[in-house]
Amino acid sequence: MEIAGLLANLGLGFSVAVSLQNLLWCLAGAVIGTAIGVLPGVGPVATMALLLPVTYVLPAEGALIMLAGIYYGAQYGGSTTAILVNLPGESSSVVTTLDGYQMARQGRAGPALAIAALGSFFAGCVATVAIALAAPPLTRLAQQFTPPDYFSLMTLGLVFAIVLARGSVLKAFGMVFLGMLLGLIGTDVNTGNLRYTFGISDLFDGIGFVPLAMGVFGIAEIIANLTNPERADLVSSKVSGLLPTREDMQRSIAPILRGTVLGGLLGILPGGGAILASFSAYTLEKKFSRTPEKFGTGMIEGVAAPESANNAAAQTSFIPMLTLGIPSNAVMAMMIGGMMIHGIVPGPQVMEQRPGLFWGMIVSMWFGNLMLIVLNLPLIGIWVRLLLVPYRLLAIAILFFCCIGVYSLNNSANEVLMIAVFGLFGYLLMKLDFEPAPLLLGFLLGPMMEVYMRRTMLLSRGDPWVFIQRPLSLCFLVLAALLLAFIVLPNVRKAREAAFQE
Amino acid sequence: MRRREFLALAGAAVAAPVIPKASAQVQNWPDKPVKLILPYAPGGGTDLIGRPWAEKLGQSFHQQFIIENRGGAGGMIGTEAASKAAPDGYTFLLTPNATLSVLPNLRKTPYDPKSFLAVARVGDFVTGFSLHPAVGPKTFQEMIAYAKANPGKLSYGSAGLGTATHLRIEMLKYRAGIDILHVPYRGSADALNDHLPNTVQMMNEINTIPHVKAGKLLLLNINNPARHPDFPDVPTLSECGYPNSDVPIWYALYAPAGTPKAIVAKLNAKIVELADSDEMRERMRSINTVVPTQTPEEMVAYLEADTARNVELIKATDMKLE
Repeated sequence: MEIAGLLANLGLGFSVAVSLQNLLWCLAGAVIGTAIGVLPGVGPVATMALLLPVTYVLPAEGALIMLAGIYYGAQYGGSTTAILVNLPGESSSVVTTLDGYQMARQGRAGPALAIAALGSFFAGCVATVAIALAAPPLTRLAQQFTPPDYFSLMTLGLVFAIVLARGSVLKAFGMVFLGMLLGLIGTDVNTGNLRYTFGISDLFDGIGFVPLAMGVFGIAEIIANLTNPERADLVSSKVSGLLPTREDMQRSIAPILRGTVLGGLLGILPGGGAILASFSAYTLEKKFSRTPEKFGTGMIEGVAAPESANNAAAQTSFIPMLTLGIPSNAVMAMMIGGMMIHGIVPGPQVMEQRPGLFWGMIVSMWFGNLMLIVLNLPLIGIWVRLLLVPYRLLAIAILFFCCIGVYSLNNSANEVLMIAVFGLFGYLLMKLDFEPAPLLLGFLLGPMMEVYMRRTMLLSRGDPWVFIQRPLSLCFLVLAALLLAFIVLPNVRKAREAAFQE
Repeated sequence: MRRREFLALAGAAVAAPVIPKASAQVQNWPDKPVKLILPYAPGGGTDLIGRPWAEKLGQSFHQQFIIENRGGAGGMIGTEAASKAAPDGYTFLLTPNATLSVLPNLRKTPYDPKSFLAVARVGDFVTGFSLHPAVGPKTFQEMIAYAKANPGKLSYGSAGLGTATHLRIEMLKYRAGIDILHVPYRGSADALNDHLPNTVQMMNEINTIPHVKAGKLLLLNINNPARHPDFPDVPTLSECGYPNSDVPIWYALYAPAGTPKAIVAKLNAKIVELADSDEMRERMRSINTVVPTQTPEEMVAYLEADTARNVELIKATDMKLE
């Protein structure tokens, strides 16, 4: 019964994903993803933020398929730059530079690239199946959620966002808090009061998600990149002999499996995602290895594991977004933005009300992975040439595109001004070493938490005990409290800092 | 040749005062694209009704009718923009009654509802009060009896303060003297998510209809003078004993004050003609909408009556925003 249902669902998804139009959007996502993955300094969050307004003109299926493709596509592209030029094209490929670049210096760039792509492909396929299997039961669970359960789950999510953010806990906490405050600007749902709007009618509905995300991630990153000197000397090594040896394959199988499982699990955690997964997988591989001291000198395991893990995590992080409507990281926040632009309220009802969209997107991930392996292995030479485009030219094109995109969303010139302001603000944050991702999560989750909290209190006729009377809600709150207590313990904090140092 | 040209020009100059400039403007109207401002974000109910109209009007006048979504501030931003547009017959406002007959009575708005001319009704959403079947009552009267016996036990979800989904149930509460808790949501999709698992027991919104058809919700009545063709057994609110309360969520087209009367008349006539076509009727029916046809004068009277009813309700229940 369960299997038959699963097959029927996948069949429906297949029929949606295989339409020429959707295949093209999937390809577009994969190509854009690879391109920005290859280019250092242009990340998937920024790209998705910049492309959000454009997706409005697409049908919802095509838009989400493309946005998803950008994310997992970037995981493929990122490894190329990491291996060939020792620059992480993507932050989730940072660890790949350690052994990947060493392999390239030893003339083994081909096998490193091939293993990275094959590992990613394997992980991507497994993760797609994992989503298809996990989504229906989780959705059924989510349908039982009442407002207090949502409130408590979001509390837990925000605590996770703080714990898993890089750098100082205090700074992450500050960012979450600032995000929540920004999210409160606008008209209060329950009373109609205007909050922090200073009588400016453009603020009555609050700050838009797109201008904020585009500014803090997109524009800020462009400014930061322009302040760095250009590297014209990047590409020198030629890639020859793509095929890994039999020994390479044998050594890679176990790390790919471990990376896939670990990455898949970490992807589901709120606050997790590709970056955390690749770091953890590398550390795990070192622990498993009989020769841990050789890591960093061109060990193929050090490429296979993190590359599989980041791709698995990139895909499983869709699970909480699709089933609960809750973003586990900044990329998923973008996906939610993409849904809201199309008038789809993310949550457990999406699977029921838009089954074509839901399953089509999942199945498209498999197609996307297939396309990516074709894009990334035989065509690797073309992608490497992308690194020759001077960034100062690229930046102008991107900025131009951004302004048109934001304007077209609401026909509002003020929103264009807003991305400029948030861009400068984001650059400031970057310089001060504040991570913008917790800000975005706070911005999205804060107002939702407030709404759920007040809705709970309305429905319980003012009785706060419902938060601990509901077993689900109680569970989440206890977890959140434990987690919070845990990170204040001094030795745990040290261990966490050490983990992020690596 | 020269002479003839001169004469022709002279003739035109003489003729000019006879045909006023405005009239030539009207005759050729529309000779460039016409803009319809929708004061809400894309994807909502206003879009649903506005898009077919833009398409059909464009075809009939052989001119583009462009929809411009100017969402924000509960419709105030777009409505303000339309009120300030040039009254040349090339900018119109397509809005539900909320922006003109409700909001200005609840808060200070950056526009005066009197600064618009009524053009035509473009569609009423036909819906009614829905109730979750787990509550118990099966009919409208049973629900009233239940609410009277259990004051404050029922709750309803609305798409936000001041929307029709809020006011209509408040109107019922006021007229029937019952107590139902109001839970405001950000939009009706959000409210429906809590209505389906019985977290809130009632709603008054178009998006409940598919779930009524699927048997997951009960439709107690129709908030419209006539019954819903798909639910011939469901009584109207008047039939339930509450006459003069069955106001639907109604959408209409308005022009900025000062727009030539002749253009308004021309557009009204075309909309009335289209509304009576089988194609438009069918398209509107597919989104649970009917289009009552009225002259601009009849529509002004309808808007005034709607405003008066809302003012009465707002005063009586001491409703306010801000």
